[in-house]
Amino acid sequence: MVFDVFFLQQVINGLSIGCVYALMAIGFTLIFGVLNVVNFAHGEVYTIGAFVGLMVITAMAPPLLAVVPLVLAVGAVSGVGLERIAFRPFRRFTDEASQKSRAMREATLLSSLAVSIVTREIMMHIFGGDMQGIPSGYLLQQPVAIGPVMVASGSLVIFATSAVMLGALQFLLYRTQTGLGIRAVSNNQLGARYVGINTDRTIVTTFAVGSMLGATAGILVGLYDGAISPHMGFAPGVKAFVAMVMGGLSSIPGAVACALLLGVSESIATEFLSSGWKDLITYSLLVITLVFFPQGLFGHGRERA
Amino acid sequence: MKKHAVFGAALGAVVGAMLAATAGATTAQAADREIVIGYQAPLSGDRSQYGEMFRNAAQIKLEEFNASGKLAGAKVAITFEDSKDDPKEARNIAHKFLDNSKIVGVIGDFSSTVSMAAGEIYAAEKMPQLSQTASHPDFTKLSPWQFRNITTQAFEGPYNADWIIAAGKKTAAVIYIQNDWGISALDGFVSGFKAKGGKITATEAFNPGNRDFRSILTKVARQKPDVIYLAMFYEEGAAFAQQREQLGIKIPLYGTSSLYSPKLIELGRESVEGLHLATTFTPDNPDPAVQTFVKEYAARFKSEPGMFAAQAYDAVGIMLDAVAKAGPSVTRESLRDALAATTGYPGVTGATSFDPVTREPAKALAKMMVKDGRFQVVTGP
Repeated sequence: MVFDVFFLQQVINGLSIGCVYALMAIGFTLIFGVLNVVNFAHGEVYTIGAFVGLMVITAMAPPLLAVVPLVLAVGAVSGVGLERIAFRPFRRFTDEASQKSRAMREATLLSSLAVSIVTREIMMHIFGGDMQGIPSGYLLQQPVAIGPVMVASGSLVIFATSAVMLGALQFLLYRTQTGLGIRAVSNNQLGARYVGINTDRTIVTTFAVGSMLGATAGILVGLYDGAISPHMGFAPGVKAFVAMVMGGLSSIPGAVACALLLGVSESIATEFLSSGWKDLITYSLLVITLVFFPQGLFGHGRERA
Repeated sequence: MKKHAVFGAALGAVVGAMLAATAGATTAQAADREIVIGYQAPLSGDRSQYGEMFRNAAQIKLEEFNASGKLAGAKVAITFEDSKDDPKEARNIAHKFLDNSKIVGVIGDFSSTVSMAAGEIYAAEKMPQLSQTASHPDFTKLSPWQFRNITTQAFEGPYNADWIIAAGKKTAAVIYIQNDWGISALDGFVSGFKAKGGKITATEAFNPGNRDFRSILTKVARQKPDVIYLAMFYEEGAAFAQQREQLGIKIPLYGTSSLYSPKLIELGRESVEGLHLATTFTPDNPDPAVQTFVKEYAARFKSEPGMFAAQAYDAVGIMLDAVAKAGPSVTRESLRDALAATTGYPGVTGATSFDPVTREPAKALAKMMVKDGRFQVVTGP
């Protein structure tokens, strides 16, 4: 194996795809951190973001920067709706036994999966299963040469967005009252309730914020990819989930780091193996992490409720 | 939709009346023999849109043939049966067709599975069968009574390989989708390309659903092949071409006919400019035979004929020409022999010849490239 410019290009390719995973993993991990349940519908929020973005673009042809606030709003609405349909009903019992019940947690896992399937099927009915093209003026696909390697403008936008999202979230979590509430609920929901935190509102806020990030990720990746479909959320959703588990479940910077690691590993592995094997790399890394670092690479080993 | 059905019914009535009129005329002459071809296809259910196209195209061809006077002393008719894309139904139809002594040959069915279910019976009872679409390798291996006029990757791969070699390009990398079809496309191309003295620099598979080809592109570009050959469908093809452009890779693209779809250009835009592929049928082909068919079909059925209608149009044409060759006293045996002797049938899906031993079709495919945002026929290498 030669460490030439092609190899460097592979690393850059890997970082680009890793950024796509990271963009999705951020919202995913935020929601997991608060409720300790996997939100299977995150991929659909991502898809909704992409489709609403495309509809706005085709209907009104606004400047790209005007699309983003709209997609953020749609994301927030779908996050709140999702919480109301799939998660709130399972929190109506507030006694300690129910709060700690595993069965309750697993029930929400399935309800979010149900919402995800229903949403996807509805989108397939409305938009069809085919790929939808993005008008060319909005594509984030211009090649940009950085020295000898090439990146797409979309990779840079996605990288910058991931960095901004990560920074903004860290600020929200560690510098604001709302963030303190989120961290308290994340740490111990019952305890937070006892000290007077409005846990319901905190959870709704978390869903709104997480889904805003998810929807933005969807439209950006759509513009970068050049085509969107009702199934687009699934594959990056799985990778984001793996990144979250490797990163220690509730560590957002950990999930981002692992997402980049996954992308680069997949890309470099293509140099040695057929690319048909790249999922094997992802899951091998997951197994290795779980065997040798059961708390994840960036986990704090906190007590699980 | 409703309008369409009403139109169809009206058309059916008109055609029926015309057929009745011609039938009346022939009985008057009394000497004319009536020869019947059975056509089995899905006319109801999930796949009925295909059967519908087959029937439409078959009607056009049949009328052309009977008007042409190629077969003196006999009239040919086609009897349609609805197989519902169901192997059980197809077997029942096979028995029904075999019991009708006027039927000397059968066209259909649509899918390979259903065609083969009926084909086993035709093979045992000695009835020539020609499928317009069954592409499974085992279909023509059933017996010497099975024919098809659709090409497979075992034909298309070497055809494209010849084209690339003729253009002076000696090395190729192949990117293929990891499924049965993709592997057959890979095998077809690689064996053809090597046989012509070409060199394969890499073969790379990807899983269905994959959207990111940057790592494959980077890996393949290192060996600087003269062309990249794509065995995939338009969704992946468009993504591949876009990412190739982003990475600044200039290696020309060739692909399988599966990429031939307006969607490829809609999704891929400028990035698919210059992509080459060969396909059996294109409504844009300036060939007068193609233009006559396209205009006639569009005028009658208010839609542009696609590959499936064209395949059926040619299947009927090949069958009828074989009937004409065998003469008014045609039998199932003599029709089979006439079919096997088909050479250079000038159809709308390219001139078709059957290999007398394997009964696999060889066609002159239309060579095309994407130019100025649409598929255009190219002449020469």
